[in-house]
Amino acid sequence: MFEYRTVRHFCAALLLVSGGVWSQAMASQALDFNRDVRPILSDHCYACHGPDAQKRKAGLRFDQEQAAKADLGGDAAIVAGNIADSVLIERVLSEDEDEVMPPPEFKKPLTPDQIEVLKRWVSDGAKWDNHWSFEPIVRPVPPTIEDDRWTRNAVDRFVLARLTEEELDPQPEASRDVLIRRVTFDLTGLPPTPDEVDQFLIDESPDAYERVVDRLLRSSRYGEHMARFWLDAARYGDTHGLHLDNYREMWPYRDWVVEAFNRNLSYRDFVIEQLAGDLLPNATRDQLVATGFNRCNVSTSEGGSIKEEVYTRNVVDRVVTTSTVFMGLTFECTRCHDHKFDPLTMKDFYSFFAYFNSIDGEPLDGNRKEHAPILRLPSTFQTQQIERFDGEIAALDEQVQGAWKEVDEAQTLWEAGLVAAQEKAKEDDPGALVLNDWYSVGPFGDVRLYLLPRKHGPEGKAIDLKASFKTSTDEIVKWQRRAAWKDGVVHSDLKGDTAANFVYRVIESPTEQRVKVSLGSDDGIKVYLNQKELLSKDVSRGAAADQEFLDLPLKKGKNELMLKIVNYGGNTGFYFSLVDGASALPKEILKIVELAPNARTEEQNAQLRGHYRNKESTFPALVAAIEQLKSLREKRSAVDREIPLTLVWKERAEPRKAFVLNRGEYDQHGEEVSRRTPGALPPIPEGFPNNRLGLAYWLTDESHPLTARVAVNRYWQQLFGLGLVKTAEDFGSQGEPPTHPALLDWLAASFRESDWDVKALMKTMVMSASYRQSSKLTPELIERDPENRLFARGPRFRLDAEMLRDQALAVSGLLVERLGGSSVKPPQPDGLWFAVGYSGSNTVKFEADKGSDKVHRRSLYTFIKRTSPPPQMSTFDGPSREACVMRRERTNTPMQALLLLNDPQFVEASRALAERMLMEAHETDSKRAERMWRLCLGRYSTPEELSDLQAAYQDELAFYRSDLTAARGLIGVGETSVRSDVDEAELAAWTTVASLLLNLDEVVTKN
Amino acid sequence: MNPVNQYYQTMTRRHFFRQGAMGLGGAALASLLPKSVLHGEGLLGGAHGTHFAPKAKRAIYLFMAGAPSQIDMLDYKPGLDRLFDTDLPDSVRQGQRLTTMTSGQTRFPIAPSKYQFEQHGQAGAWVSELLPYTAKMVDDLSIIRSVHTEAINHDPAITYICTGHQLPGRASLGSWLSYGLGSLNENLPDFVVMTPTWSGRKTAQALYNRLWGSGFLPSKHQGVALRSSGDPVLFLSNPEGVDAASRRRLLDRLARFNERTKTRFGDPETQTRIDQYEMAFRMQSSIPGLTDLSDEPDHVVDMYGPEAKKPGTYAASCLLARRMIERDVRFVQIFHRGWDQHGNIPEDLPNQCRDIDQASWALVQDLKTRGLLEDTLVIWGGEFGRTVYCQGKLTRESYGRDHHPRCFPMWMAGGGIKPGMVYGKTDDFSYNIVENPVHIHDLNATILDRLGIDHERLSVKFQGLDVRLTGVEEHGPVQALLA
Repeated sequence: MFEYRTVRHFCAALLLVSGGVWSQAMASQALDFNRDVRPILSDHCYACHGPDAQKRKAGLRFDQEQAAKADLGGDAAIVAGNIADSVLIERVLSEDEDEVMPPPEFKKPLTPDQIEVLKRWVSDGAKWDNHWSFEPIVRPVPPTIEDDRWTRNAVDRFVLARLTEEELDPQPEASRDVLIRRVTFDLTGLPPTPDEVDQFLIDESPDAYERVVDRLLRSSRYGEHMARFWLDAARYGDTHGLHLDNYREMWPYRDWVVEAFNRNLSYRDFVIEQLAGDLLPNATRDQLVATGFNRCNVSTSEGGSIKEEVYTRNVVDRVVTTSTVFMGLTFECTRCHDHKFDPLTMKDFYSFFAYFNSIDGEPLDGNRKEHAPILRLPSTFQTQQIERFDGEIAALDEQVQGAWKEVDEAQTLWEAGLVAAQEKAKEDDPGALVLNDWYSVGPFGDVRLYLLPRKHGPEGKAIDLKASFKTSTDEIVKWQRRAAWKDGVVHSDLKGDTAANFVYRVIESPTEQRVKVSLGSDDGIKVYLNQKELLSKDVSRGAAADQEFLDLPLKKGKNELMLKIVNYGGNTGFYFSLVDGASALPKEILKIVELAPNARTEEQNAQLRGHYRNKESTFPALVAAIEQLKSLREKRSAVDREIPLTLVWKERAEPRKAFVLNRGEYDQHGEEVSRRTPGALPPIPEGFPNNRLGLAYWLTDESHPLTARVAVNRYWQQLFGLGLVKTAEDFGSQGEPPTHPALLDWLAASFRESDWDVKALMKTMVMSASYRQSSKLTPELIERDPENRLFARGPRFRLDAEMLRDQALAVSGLLVERLGGSSVKPPQPDGLWFAVGYSGSNTVKFEADKGSDKVHRRSLYTFIKRTSPPPQMSTFDGPSREACVMRRERTNTPMQALLLLNDPQFVEASRALAERMLMEAHETDSKRAERMWRLCLGRYSTPEELSDLQAAYQDELAFYRSDLTAARGLIGVGETSVRSDVDEAELAAWTTVASLLLNLDEVVTKN
Repeated sequence: MNPVNQYYQTMTRRHFFRQGAMGLGGAALASLLPKSVLHGEGLLGGAHGTHFAPKAKRAIYLFMAGAPSQIDMLDYKPGLDRLFDTDLPDSVRQGQRLTTMTSGQTRFPIAPSKYQFEQHGQAGAWVSELLPYTAKMVDDLSIIRSVHTEAINHDPAITYICTGHQLPGRASLGSWLSYGLGSLNENLPDFVVMTPTWSGRKTAQALYNRLWGSGFLPSKHQGVALRSSGDPVLFLSNPEGVDAASRRRLLDRLARFNERTKTRFGDPETQTRIDQYEMAFRMQSSIPGLTDLSDEPDHVVDMYGPEAKKPGTYAASCLLARRMIERDVRFVQIFHRGWDQHGNIPEDLPNQCRDIDQASWALVQDLKTRGLLEDTLVIWGGEFGRTVYCQGKLTRESYGRDHHPRCFPMWMAGGGIKPGMVYGKTDDFSYNIVENPVHIHDLNATILDRLGIDHERLSVKFQGLDVRLTGVEEHGPVQALLA
C-alpha cells in the first residue's frame, strides 16, 4: 500500500535533518533505474505518458526507453548525460503553472528528492533497464562475506551484505524457547508443547534445531497451516458470497489444498492441477477437485440478473485472481483500458480471458450448493454401500417382477371382475373416473418473495406437454412423465431449493361432478383446474396427507389439474389422493384390460402386471417385498444425499468466443480475440496446447519471470511478516521493487531448480540465521527500519486470527486434531447472520454446532459465510474471502481485546486450561501456575512472573470463595461441562489466571 | 507517553509539513508506522487533519436498502395519471436494459402513483402524503432528484454506492472516513452501523458486512455493528461471574506482565496493546452509557415517535445516532431494509415510510436544536430507484415497480449543505434525468468534500491502482449543493 521509496525518503528525510549517514550513502550509491527512477516515472508520469495509448499526451511515453529518448522535432525529453537539454528536467523544474510537470491538477507533484533523483539519473547517463520482474530469473551468486560467523546459509549472505551496506548489525540467535515457539507457529500454526520445548532445550546435538524443523514439516498440522494462507488467496468460502449467499459445497477443495501441502506436492503441480487438472490426461479425482480453485469466485442468482453480465464478472474474477496469485500482475486495470503503468493491454486481458471463459456450466448459481459442474465424492464406504443397495434392489426387483403364481391368478380374476364392472357400468353409468399419469416440470428458482405470486413456466398458459421452459438460471426444463407416481403417498422427488415445481395430470370424468381430493405440499401450493386458480396457500411445512381438502368441480370429459409446489428450502414434494371412496383407474390400464389377453403386447402385459402388483395386489408376500424395495430405495437415497460434492471445472466442448469488451462493459463487444498470453511476457512454449493446461505449463516454465518470484515472496512474507516485495499482489511498476532483489532471485531460482519443493524452501528459510535472529528491537532499529525491511532482527508480530483461536484450544487440551471434512460452526453471538441475511437464504440463521468434535476444531475448518464472516476471524484481520487477498493487515484494536477476554470460546478455553492443569495433580500452587505458564508460553517463568501469577490466583480465589455463584457462572461458560469433583472457587480463580495468560502480549505474539 | 511513540508523532508531523503538497504522502506514510501512533489523528495533514477546512465533522447516513419508490415519495409526476395503463413510450425507454424480472414482460404499462402530493416549504418541494414529517422539514434539506448509478441489481448496486465498486473487496465510505480523518474520541469507535427492523414484507433484500467493511484498509477502520439484542458491541460484556472490579484486577496484572514484555522485546506494538486493553475497558462503560436511553427526556423520545424506545427499531436507531454524534462518533450509518417493492406497493410502502418518516425528521430537528446540525451531515437514500412502469398486476390501487438505476432521489442536510433546495430534474416519467445529473460517485465526493476531504487525494494503492472511493472517472462534489 505504500512504496518502499517512501520509507527511504522518510528515512532520508530524517537523516538529512539530523545530518545522518543516509544522505552520504545515497550520494555515493549508484542509482538503480528500477529501484529509484522507474517508480517516479510510473507514479507521476505514466498516467499520461505511459502504456495506455488512449490517454497518452503529446505522443510522449516514459515506459519505453526508445520513445522516452526519441528526438521530438529538435527536442528530446531525455538526453542522456545532459540535464540542460532534457526537456523532462526542464519541465519538472519549471515554476510556470502551465509548464510544470506533472501538472498541478494531476495532484501528484514531485518532491525535491524525486527531482534530484531524476537529475542525477539523467546526468549519470539515463541508464535504462526493463522492469525488474519481467526480466528472466537468473540465479545470482550469493555475496562473499568476509566475516561469516553469523551466516548459516546463502539467504544470510544476501541479508548480511545489505545490512553491511546500511551499516547495521544483525541480531544473534533468539533464545531456544523463543525460537521453538516461533518455528512451531510458523510451520504448524500451533504452539509447541512444554515437552517439545524441553526436548529442544536439552538437545545439545548440532542438528537439534534442524530435527525440530524436520519434525514439524512432517506433521499433518503443517498442511493445515499452510493451506489457510492459500485459501485467502484463492478466496475460498462456504457460501456463494452474493445476494442470497446460500451454502456452497466446496470443502473438498479446501481439503485438497491441505493434503497438497502435507504430501509436499511440488508447486509446479500445485499450479497445474488447480488451473487445469481437468485437462490432464487420465485426470484423477484429486486433480479434478483441485480445479475448484477457479470455482471459488463469488457468484449470484439474484432475481433479475442479466446472465451475460454475471458470466463476464465470473470470468473477470478468475482472470484477476489467477494473474494476481500466480504472477503478481494487476490485470484488473486492463479490463477497461490499456494499463497505465505496466505493459499490459486490454487485448492482453481479453485474450487471457479467453482461457477462462468456457466452463461447461451456467453463470448463475441457482442458489444451489451444487452449482454445476460438480464432482461427487463418495467415500469407499459410501461406494460400497451404494453398490450393496443397488445389488439388493436389483435382486428384490427381479423377485417382484418374477413369477408369482398366486398373484397372477388373482390378477386374472381381478381383470375379469374389472371387465364385468366396466360393462355393467357402461349400461347404467357413463363410466369411472380416470386419473392419468402425472407429469412434472421444474425447478423454477426465484427469490422467496416472488415464488408463489409470480407466474413461472407453464402458469397462465395452455398446457403443452411438449413445451420447454427457461428457468431463472436460463436452464431449459421440460415436462417429465411420472408414471411411477402412485396416489396416496408423499412424492418427495422434486428438486430445487427456493424454487417452484409444477405437477400436472389429466382427469377424465364421465360426467360433470365434484370430486373431493386430499392434498399436501412442501411448502406452499397453488391449485389450478382447467387454468382456473382454486387454491393458493403460502405456508412453510413438510408434505403430508390431508393438509388441504378441495372439491374439484370436474366437467365432463378431459380436465386439466395443475399444482404449483413452492419450496422455501430443503426438501420439496406433494401429496394427492381422492377421498370419500372416489376411485379411479389409470385410463391406459383400463384400455389394456379391455383387450383380449392374446391381443396385448409384451409391453402392455408388463404394464398391467406392474400396475396390479404395485397398486392392487394384497398378496402378503408380494406386498412385503414391495415395501422392502421401497425402504431399500429410501436407504439408498439417504446414503446418496450424504455424499459430499465439490465445484470443479469442466471445459465446454466448443470454446466460447471472446471479445475485447469496450470500457469493460459486458454488452460492448469489440474486436474478437483468441487465447494468447500477454505480449510483454514470453509466449507459451512450443509443443504445449493453447488452453488452460498450456497456460499452466507456461506459468511454471523456466522462461516465466514471475511465477517463482511471486511464490517465494509469499512464503517469505508468511515467515518474516512482510515480503521481499512488500506488495505481494503487485510485481508491476506500481508495486514496490524488492528490498533484496538478488535474494529474491536466488530463492526463486533455487525453488525452481528443486522441482518447486515447498517444504525444502520453507526449510531453507527457517534454517537461516536471518530467521533465527532475536526479535529484540532497539530504539535505533525502530528509527532506521520500523518495519524490519532489512531483517536486522527476527520477526515479531501478532498471531493471525486462526493461530490465536487454535492456540487457546491447543493449550487447553480442547483442540480436536482431525483432518478435513465439512466445515463446522463453533458458537458465535446470536443474530450476526440474521442481521444482514436475505430472509430466504439458507444461511440466514446461524445454528451453532454441538459437540467437541465440531466446535473445537482448528479454525481452518470454521464455516465462512462470506457476507458475515465469523467475528473470531474478521476482528483479527481475517478476510471475508469474497476476493483474493495476498496479505493480511495486522491491526491492534480494543475490539480484539474484548474478544480475547470475553468470547465464550476463549473463556471456555481458559477454564479448560485450568481444569486440565488441576487434573494433572501438581502438588503446589506454584507448580500449577508454572504448568499453565509453560503451556501458554513454552518457556519457563521468572520468579517475579511466577509470584505475580500466584498472587493473581490468591486474589481471585478469595473473590470466588466469597462469591460461589460468580464462580459457578464463570466456569459454566462453554460447550464442555465441568467435572463434578473440582473445587468451584479454585477452578474459577485458575480460569481467570488462564484468561490472563491467553491475553498476554507475549502469548498473542510470535516473538 | 512511550518515548518511541512520542518520537513517531513528532516525526509524523514533521513529515507532513515537509510533504504537505504530496497529498497521498500522509496516508501512504501511515502504514509504515505502528497504527497506534496515529490514534486520534487524521492522516491528511494540514491544520485540521483534513485537506481543507471541513464544513462537517461528523455524518449520519440513513440508508434505505432495497430502493425506495421515488415516484410515490419525492418525484412528483402529475402527468402520469391520465396515462394509466398505457405503454411507456419507446422514446423514453430508449432500449435501456431491464432486469430479467421484467425484460420478459410483453408490455410496460404506466403505473401512476396513487398518493397525493403537495408542495412544501420555501422551495416548494413536492412531497407525497406518505412522508408528512419529511414534508415539514424540506426547508432543512437539499433534495436531489437526479442521482443515478449503473448497477441494476441490489447486490452490485448497494456494494457500488457504499464502496465505490460493484464487486466485493473495496473499502466502505465510513472506513475511508475513519482512515482519512482518524478518531474524534477515545471511548467509542469511529464508525458505527445499525441494522434496524422494518415493517414492510419480511422477505427483504440482504445486507452484507462488506457495506461497512474496510476492504484493503486495516480492519480497525471497519464499521462496528451496534446490536439491539445481546451485547451492543460484540463481546462487550464480561463473562458471567466476572465483575468490573475483577476485570480491573485482571487488566492491571496484564499491564504489569506486558510492561515486562515491552522491556524485553522493545516492541512499540506492546504499548499499543496495553493502550487498546484500556480502551476496551473504557468502552465497557461508555457503550452501555450510550445505549441506555433512560436519561432522555420524554419530549425528546416522543419526537422520534412511538417506537423510539423499542430496541432495534429505526426510531431507536436514529435516537442512538444522535447520542453517538453528541459523543463524537465520526460516522453513523443506519441500514433500513424492506424497500424492494416489486409487487403491491400500496400494501408495503406506507409501512416502510411510517418506519422512517417521523424519526428522520426528529433526528434532523434534534440535531438542529442542539446546534449539532451545523457540523453534522445527514444523508438519506437508497441504492437505486424504481420503474414508472408496473411489474405484475396493475390497478389504480395496486401496482409494483422494478429496479430503476437511471434516476432516484436522495436528500442531504446539515454540515455545509444548502438548505431548502431541490436539485436536478427527471422527465415526465421519472425515467431519465433531464437536468443536473448526480452520479453516485459525485454524491460520495460531495460527502467527502463536506468532511474536508478532496476525494481525488484520498487514495490507497491497491492492485496497482490508486484506489479512491469515487472511482477513476471524472467526478466531483456537486457545487450547487454546497453552502
